[in-house]
Amino acid sequence: MNIVVTVKQVADPNIPPSHIQLDDEAKRIISPFGIPPVMNGYDANALEEALRLREAHQGKITAITLGEESSRDVLKRAVAMGANTAVLLSDPEWLHADSASVGQLIAAGIKKSGPFDLVLCGRQASDTDGGQVLHWIARYLDIPVITPVVKIDAVEGDTITVQRLTDDGVQRLKVKLPALLGVSSEMNEPRLPSMRGLMGAGRAMIAAWKKKDIPVELPAPRVELRKLAIQIRDSKAEMIPGKTGAEQGAALADKLREKGLI
Amino acid sequence: MPGILVIGEVAGGRLLPASLEAAAAGAALAKSFGEPLFGALMGDAGGALDSATEAFAAGFATLYLVEHASLHSYTAHAHASAAQAVINAAGPSVVICPHTLRAREWVPCLAAAIDTGLIMDCTGVAADGADLVAHKPVLGGGVVGEFVIRAKPIAPRIVTLRSGASARAADAPNAKVERLPFEATANDRVTLLEEIAAQTSSGPKISDAKIVVSGGRGLGSPDNWHHIEAAASALGAAVGCSRPVADSGWVNSSHQVGLSGNSINAELYVAIGISGAVQHLAGINSSAVVAAINTDAQADIFTRAKYGVAGDYKEVLPAFVERVRQLKG
Repeated sequence: MNIVVTVKQVADPNIPPSHIQLDDEAKRIISPFGIPPVMNGYDANALEEALRLREAHQGKITAITLGEESSRDVLKRAVAMGANTAVLLSDPEWLHADSASVGQLIAAGIKKSGPFDLVLCGRQASDTDGGQVLHWIARYLDIPVITPVVKIDAVEGDTITVQRLTDDGVQRLKVKLPALLGVSSEMNEPRLPSMRGLMGAGRAMIAAWKKKDIPVELPAPRVELRKLAIQIRDSKAEMIPGKTGAEQGAALADKLREKGLI
Repeated sequence: MPGILVIGEVAGGRLLPASLEAAAAGAALAKSFGEPLFGALMGDAGGALDSATEAFAAGFATLYLVEHASLHSYTAHAHASAAQAVINAAGPSVVICPHTLRAREWVPCLAAAIDTGLIMDCTGVAADGADLVAHKPVLGGGVVGEFVIRAKPIAPRIVTLRSGASARAADAPNAKVERLPFEATANDRVTLLEEIAAQTSSGPKISDAKIVVSGGRGLGSPDNWHHIEAAASALGAAVGCSRPVADSGWVNSSHQVGLSGNSINAELYVAIGISGAVQHLAGINSSAVVAAINTDAQADIFTRAKYGVAGDYKEVLPAFVERVRQLKG
């Protein structure tokens, strides 16, 4: 079973909001010094599931990303976790592509990387929370997409049976392969790379494809990001006074009652 | 002429209230653009759709209905196809849907199928000349992105709207209802085998509880978790936790609030010993009022909280619980 996993390098979601920095000109989030970017958490779940599927059904895992040159790090991480090969799509012209174009480019990269049975994506990226690149990939690959998926029940022949999260439970769906699944965090607990994996990843061959390698004509952007702004919460919390903790506790209850909240 | 089309959601046998908020946002856009306001509902003919039509019809020039047995149980393919039928009939310039777990799947399927621009999970939409501007929280709400979809050549422009983003529509005369013919196309690639309802545990469900009491690493040890349980029980609240607490196995991760856990929509969120990393704040974005108890008066949670107590929860919380019990008599 050949599996492609899309991965994205994102600002570490464990940063305190007060440490967020923006590059206004480039309209992007900068990782503060000392808090390096990480693999998007949902993508780590997708890769973990790919590793488990490979353990059960053999095959090959290709990790693919689109981003700046520095995104090599997220691919090395994927290889360290166990991906067989890695593909970096990076060209200055692509840096401001919208979700639709990113999906189109990744789909082209997936086609170029060889035959595949399954594409696993994180359900969304934790930095932009967009949640649509996976649909555009599926559209350009002309394969069905199911999201958010919380469990893979079975792979039999050319079908996969999955559980999709709904507002009041789950749906079980049988999907013909090749297909694309948007993986949610309920699915598994991603493994940490082994020492051997980490050492191997340093030497891993990463295919780097640019515009000349992926001859895709991109349309004008459908959606444009005009600006990013740090959400200033100028109203700091109203701090409840009190001589002792107990006084504060009782006063908090009174305040919430006064406001009709309890 | 084109128009603003609001597609409501019928789920669990009723109109999802967020549909009315989407209608209110649609009405404001229709006014700004000087275009008519259309509504649409999709579902299996009968009970739920009829009552939803009743609840939704106010204020639209036309309310389009797509009734078909294939829309009885939700699948992305059928929903996106039905929406496409409405778009073909109404020819709107903008489509607005409430942002739900379903919408997260079928709306981008639709956008990709008809090759148009989409922005999901917006907290506000407005007209800027002929362009559509949408605000959307990113990075767990710490940052807001301002996105624009130009009038030409992108049509229709689609947005999904986060619940709580817009006030509900005021009373207005009911729409003319128009039923659209719909030929369901078979999807031989995806088969719905069954729907499994979530097991209901005791106490309110965290995702739709009115009050959530949540504990973090600041509690110090799992032995102190009973403080959270006591506060939740006094308030009739659901229990939540931060990621480090779930990761350390103090409580089951089904209680986890945040990016990789539950998003909550509570009227009151009480955070105890939670510092407020981006990952956590993402999950409480749409909660109305946050009250926080933390020893560190500089903790980030106090920039999100409306009411704060800087103090040791071991002293604060028992007195809080006792007072709550007195007040609730």
